[in-house]
Amino acid sequence: MLMNDSPRKPKKRGGSVIVAMPRTLDRTWVERQAVPGFGFAAELRLDFAETEQIDSAGMGYIATLHKICSRGGGKLVLENIATRHVEALHKQAGLEPGPQRQREGSVFVRTADMFLSAIEQGVEALSVLVEMLYWGTFGMWLRRDFKRGSLGEQMYQLGFRAVGIVALLSFLIGVVLSLQSAMQLRTYGAGIFLAPLIGITMVREMGPLLTAIILAGRTGSATTAEIATMEVNEEIDALRTMGINPIQFVVVPKFWAISVTMPLLTIISTSTGILGGYVVAFLYLDLSPGLFTNELTKYLHFADVNAGFIKSVVFSWLIIWIGAYYGLRVQGGAEAVGRETTSSVVTGIFIIIIADAIFSFIL
Amino acid sequence: METNRTRPVIKIENLTAKYGERTILSGVSTELRSSEITVILGTSGCGKSTLLKSIVGLLRPATGRVRIFDTEIRDQDDPASVEVLKRTGVLFQNGALLGSITVGENVALPLQMHTRLAEPVINEIVAMKLAQVDLPHAAPLFPNELSGGMRKRAALARALALDPPLLFCDEPSAGLDPVTSAGLDELLLRLRESLGITIVVVTHELLSIEKIADFLLFLHKGKLLFDGPYSEARKLREGPIYNFFNRADDRRAEGAAESFTFNVENVR
Repeated sequence: MLMNDSPRKPKKRGGSVIVAMPRTLDRTWVERQAVPGFGFAAELRLDFAETEQIDSAGMGYIATLHKICSRGGGKLVLENIATRHVEALHKQAGLEPGPQRQREGSVFVRTADMFLSAIEQGVEALSVLVEMLYWGTFGMWLRRDFKRGSLGEQMYQLGFRAVGIVALLSFLIGVVLSLQSAMQLRTYGAGIFLAPLIGITMVREMGPLLTAIILAGRTGSATTAEIATMEVNEEIDALRTMGINPIQFVVVPKFWAISVTMPLLTIISTSTGILGGYVVAFLYLDLSPGLFTNELTKYLHFADVNAGFIKSVVFSWLIIWIGAYYGLRVQGGAEAVGRETTSSVVTGIFIIIIADAIFSFIL
Repeated sequence: METNRTRPVIKIENLTAKYGERTILSGVSTELRSSEITVILGTSGCGKSTLLKSIVGLLRPATGRVRIFDTEIRDQDDPASVEVLKRTGVLFQNGALLGSITVGENVALPLQMHTRLAEPVINEIVAMKLAQVDLPHAAPLFPNELSGGMRKRAALARALALDPPLLFCDEPSAGLDPVTSAGLDELLLRLRESLGITIVVVTHELLSIEKIADFLLFLHKGKLLFDGPYSEARKLREGPIYNFFNRADDRRAEGAAESFTFNVENVR
């Protein structure tokens, strides 16, 4: 049996090469064969006199040899093969695989394609933003396609449940920031300025930015994953066929929930950040609470609070917009949901930082 | 009954549907009449689900148009389309129940959105609809706590919540055991008998077709090959429809013809 199945040396007869095939032409046998990558010019004869069984690997091997021979101008002949094997071969092997997916065109064409698809995506993203803003505001006079209680539920999910992490991280950032500053300020005896420094930084910059980044990771990803899963499971289509506007049903409650809770979270973030700064001031610089508050209120103006508030609202819209856009554009299955969620968080944080940079100039 | 027969509920005129560059359906024209069960048939990938999606307005036709109750479905923001959508129920292949709310809330959703009924009345209707599909105790459960068949039946309850005169079912019996599947067929027949609902079903199940089909639309490679009574389709003695009903596979032979032939000598 073993003798029978081991590959044999090819014989030559006239101009053709003859290879005797084993009794069982199966995967084990095929695995031991080398497949030439070049064309084969001569005639190759496979002798199946002893062959009783051929499995898929065997058929694939024969089909491969056939292609190699015809590519080089040679010919493959199957000798002494059983009728049932010929039938099986013609039925199953040698079917041309469908056309491969390939990128066509020159570098120029591909670049143009990429550019066009980027524009298309931009337009899609903008249309999601417009729909969200329209159905969240004026559109509500026309129809109200959201469930009672969904706003409260979303405020709880998106806002209240983020309080802990926002407060903790802001406190720690406040401590770190003021510790770093305090060491430098103390060298010059300017420790007293820690209060306005940390106050203005937290109110104008770190409070809104930190909250936005945490919420982009938390709410943005959750929004994308939820909407994308709904899209993949045909839930969005089901809403459409029920005559329910999916943007208003799914996105608008989140839009309002985050618009309300984000400024509140920013207040929490700012105050815990300043509290962190105060702890450092008290323990490291020996500033009294009264002095700290006094210095803080002396330099902190309404304009700063206003800037922080505007930022927090705009950031909240950016988060929910990016989250919804990536969720709605999903195509494919579970893997696509993961990919869009990742893109959503990365893009969300990127756009928030860009927006923050722009705000630094105008506010 | 005879006068009802002549009244078309859905008119499809020269419909062509595309996904991107790929044409899925071309030149489909037909009329579906009221109080009848029309089965859309065809081998996998022939465009059955696409036809269904085009009819219910989920896919914009590339050319041609579809009218339900003499109205063209545009989108959910068009009030006329919404009025039509309120009068149609769609059962998706996997049920498509909203995963974040309970089965009861899913069934109640169309009622809450499109009617001014009081909450207790809605609850009664939900209980009735769930009992109708043999899921009387499923209301407080979430969709992921149900089996595939139960989910599909719950989705049917949701599709029927507004008592629509028109119901679309995308493969209602796919993945169901024969008993449940037969039960579903019975239910569809009952709905047709008692309420005169027009039903459009996409299915592969021969037994189910045998039982419920009044009319047949047979799609083959994106074209409408047959449009007529089921009994006439069964009289055909050749072609893809005959093959379909007799489970004859002619595709492999077609494929092999395109492939290369092996040189064979001394066949044993």
